[in-house]
This record gives sequence, structure tokens and C-alpha cells, in this order.
Amino acid sequence: MTSAPASVPDKNHLQAAVAWYLALNDNEVTPDQHQAWQRWLDADPAHVNAWARIEKLQQQLRGVPGELALPVLSQMGVQRRQGLKLLLLLATGAATFAGYRSSPYSADFATGTGQRRHVKLPDGSRLDLNTDTQVDIAYSAQQRLIVLRQGEIFVTTASEQAPARPLAVQTPHGRVLALGTRFDVRVLSGFSTVEVEQHAVEVSSRDAPRQVQRVEHGQALTFGAAHMGNLRLGSAGNSAWTQGVLVAIDWRLADFIGELSRYRAGYLGCAEQVADLRISGAFRLDDIDGVLANLQVSLPVKVRQLSRYWVRIEA
Amino acid sequence: MDAGLKASNSLNIGHLYGEHHGWLKGWLRTRTCNSADAADLAQDTFMRMLTLRQMPALREPRHYLVTIARGLLIDKARRQTLERAYLEVLAARPEPLEVSPETYHLIIESLLAIDTLLDGLGQRTRQIFLMVQLESLSYVEVGKRLGLSVTTVKNHLSKALMQCIVLMDA
Repeated sequence: MTSAPASVPDKNHLQAAVAWYLALNDNEVTPDQHQAWQRWLDADPAHVNAWARIEKLQQQLRGVPGELALPVLSQMGVQRRQGLKLLLLLATGAATFAGYRSSPYSADFATGTGQRRHVKLPDGSRLDLNTDTQVDIAYSAQQRLIVLRQGEIFVTTASEQAPARPLAVQTPHGRVLALGTRFDVRVLSGFSTVEVEQHAVEVSSRDAPRQVQRVEHGQALTFGAAHMGNLRLGSAGNSAWTQGVLVAIDWRLADFIGELSRYRAGYLGCAEQVADLRISGAFRLDDIDGVLANLQVSLPVKVRQLSRYWVRIEA
Repeated sequence: MDAGLKASNSLNIGHLYGEHHGWLKGWLRTRTCNSADAADLAQDTFMRMLTLRQMPALREPRHYLVTIARGLLIDKARRQTLERAYLEVLAARPEPLEVSPETYHLIIESLLAIDTLLDGLGQRTRQIFLMVQLESLSYVEVGKRLGLSVTTVKNHLSKALMQCIVLMDA
């Protein structure tokens, strides 16, 4: 005559749900893992039940303002155990939490995910660093060399009095020599791209430094360590990120989300069913969550958010 | 059968109330130092019994009542501790935060619910859970901060999550 505990999922299923959550909440989660999770979820209604508890917990946690909940709940834990000595933790805790943000990079200039930075170099040239970027500055008497280790920069060169030292951007895939210009260089996995907004640059691949391709303003070029792509027309609005804006003109939703995901830590993805929807507009990069929320208004999609590190656009 | 059970249930409660309410209030008064609180808690104790689906067969009804009342006392003490902690955190903020009474109530309730789920976990486990869930720190960052390996961080987190989803009302 006791009430049936039918609604409590099996412990193994709960444990599996926790393991999946740990994997999906990792900021290095891959689409493969996500697909594997989806298969697990689809395999058994009991899995759905177990997972529902994870989602409910996340909802509950989102319901409290983090900047208050964190110190209050930490304090509660200590208080139960040790009585009173925690005002200390509170006072120092807030400061430590605030102070701990960016990890130290060894690069001369760096940005974390979602950050942008404007840098003025000794010769008066200016650099804009886009999200997740690392740059070293190697100026010498002979040349002004900017080493782009990863990410994206927009360069505005300053002209030097004669004898002017050449200014170049070095990426893992080759070198971009500036000819008095404004241009954008981006490192992707396996290749780099350059897009010129003013005047021109000369590009050479790492393995064929003698073959030089000139890129004029309004043009763009993709180059790998051992090959040179074809010249193409630059995309309008390519440097809008320096103003904190992403400009999309009739993009596939999947491409748009892929671009947005550069600015946001964790997994931000898009389901197959909605990948081919089209989107145009100018979007603020410092409010990605707002952009995502608006997507639900302008397109037939839903934003599914399990944690700060896991967001997916679905039908 | 259910209807009969309910009827006998409230009969029993009526009987219990008549027999033990005064005594329970006295027991609570010595522990709250406040007769208004004691009366409220005694009332809540009987309310709690009314919500039971089935009245247990009570050999020692006072023992049973005290068990429930003690739980309510602890909840009350915890709520007070939490409210105090909340107000201290608010007071320590550089800028004041305007919170309406309704919002205040909701926030306290939500915090209590989470605190209850985390009850009994070690301080380190709780801390790791909060850092990941509320501060959105990555496992690597948490590990760096606390001088722990990522595996250890995940183990603590896994333990905390498991307890939460086992304990939560579905």
C-alpha cells in the first residue's frame, strides 16, 4: 500500500545521464559526442526520463541570480560544517572570483573567446584582435613582423619615413606583406585567409616563399602552407567585427551559427533540419545570447540550452 | 477503499490533534523561545501529517510528531541562516540591488531548494559544483584554481550532480 516509486528512474540511467552531462558541458565537446548523446537519448524512454532530471536541475540553477547564489550557497556549505568563520571566505571569495578570468597567455597580445582588443604598435600601426587570438610582435631594425599564431587580426599599417621597414603578418601557412594598407588575416585549421580593404598585399605560402600572389583591395585569398587558392571577391562587411558586429547576407543558418560559435565558449551548434535556412542582418557580437533569443522570433527554430557551454539551434 | 482510508486518516489526525497539540506546542516553545513560532510550527507539523497518503500506525505518536517538528525546526533554522547569508552578500555589494518582496521570496525559495539538494556533500564537492554550475568555469579552470586534476574535478561534479538528481522531486 506504499506509493509506487515508479517515477524514480533507475540509478544506472541517472548515472549515465550525469556522465553525458559532464561530457556535453565540457568546453571541448565535439559534434560527435553530441550525436552519440542523441543516440543514447533516443535508445530508451528511460534515458529521456533520466535526462529530464538533468534539464530540470539546470533550469533550477538558472532561476537564481548567479552573483548572489554563488556566495550564499558557498557560505551555507561552510556554515553547516564549521560554524561561523566564513565572512572571510565571502569577502575574499568575491574578489578572487572576479580576479580570476583570463588565463595567462604566453603571446604578446591575446584575446579569449568572445573578447576583442585594439592594440597600437610602436610604429603607429594598429591591430584589432578578434576572438580567441594570439599575436607576437617581432619588430627589428630590418622589418616589422607580426606573428599571428591563431585567430584573426585586422591590420591598419602606419607608413614609416624612409627607409621604411616592410611590415608583414606571418601565419602558420605563409606570409602576408603589407603594401601600405588595411587588411584582415585569419588563421583557420589547415589554411589562412586574407582580405584586403585598402591598397594591396603580397601573399606567399610557407613552403613556396618565392611564389608571390598579389591581392588588391576588395579581393580575398585563401592559402595553405603548400598551396595558393584562387583570388575571389571579398565579402562585404568582413571587417565589421572590429566594430563588434557580424554582418551576414543571405547566409546558411549553419554557417551563421558556426561563425557565431567562434565568439562563445563551448558547443554552439545547429541541427540538420534547420541548417539550410537563410539569414541576413547585422548582429551584435557582445550579446550572442540576445542574438540567439532573437533567432527564435525571426526563424522557425528553437534554442535548446542545457548549460552555458551547450547550446543548439533546433527545429 | 481510498475514501475509507482518507476518512479514517482525518479521524486519526483529529484524535492526535486533540491529544497532543498542546504538548507539542510546549515542546516547541522550549526550543524556539517564541510562542508564536511554536504555535506556527505545531500547526505545520499537523498539516504535514494531513498530507501523508496513509496514516502510519503509531505506537508512539509523540515520538513521531517530534520527528516531523524537528525537521521543520531545522528547515526554519536553515532558512534563517540562508536569509542572513543572502542579506550579508547583498550588503557587501558595491552597488545596492533593488529586490521586490516577491522576488526576494522567490530567490530565497530557489536557493533553499538548491541548498537542500546539496546537503551532506563535502565542502569541496559543493564548491566545485557551484563553480561549474553558477560561475560557468570550465573543468580546467576549476582544476587550476583549486590545484586539482580535471579528473578529480569531474569526479566531484559527478557526485554532486548525481545526488541532486536522485534527491529532486521529478
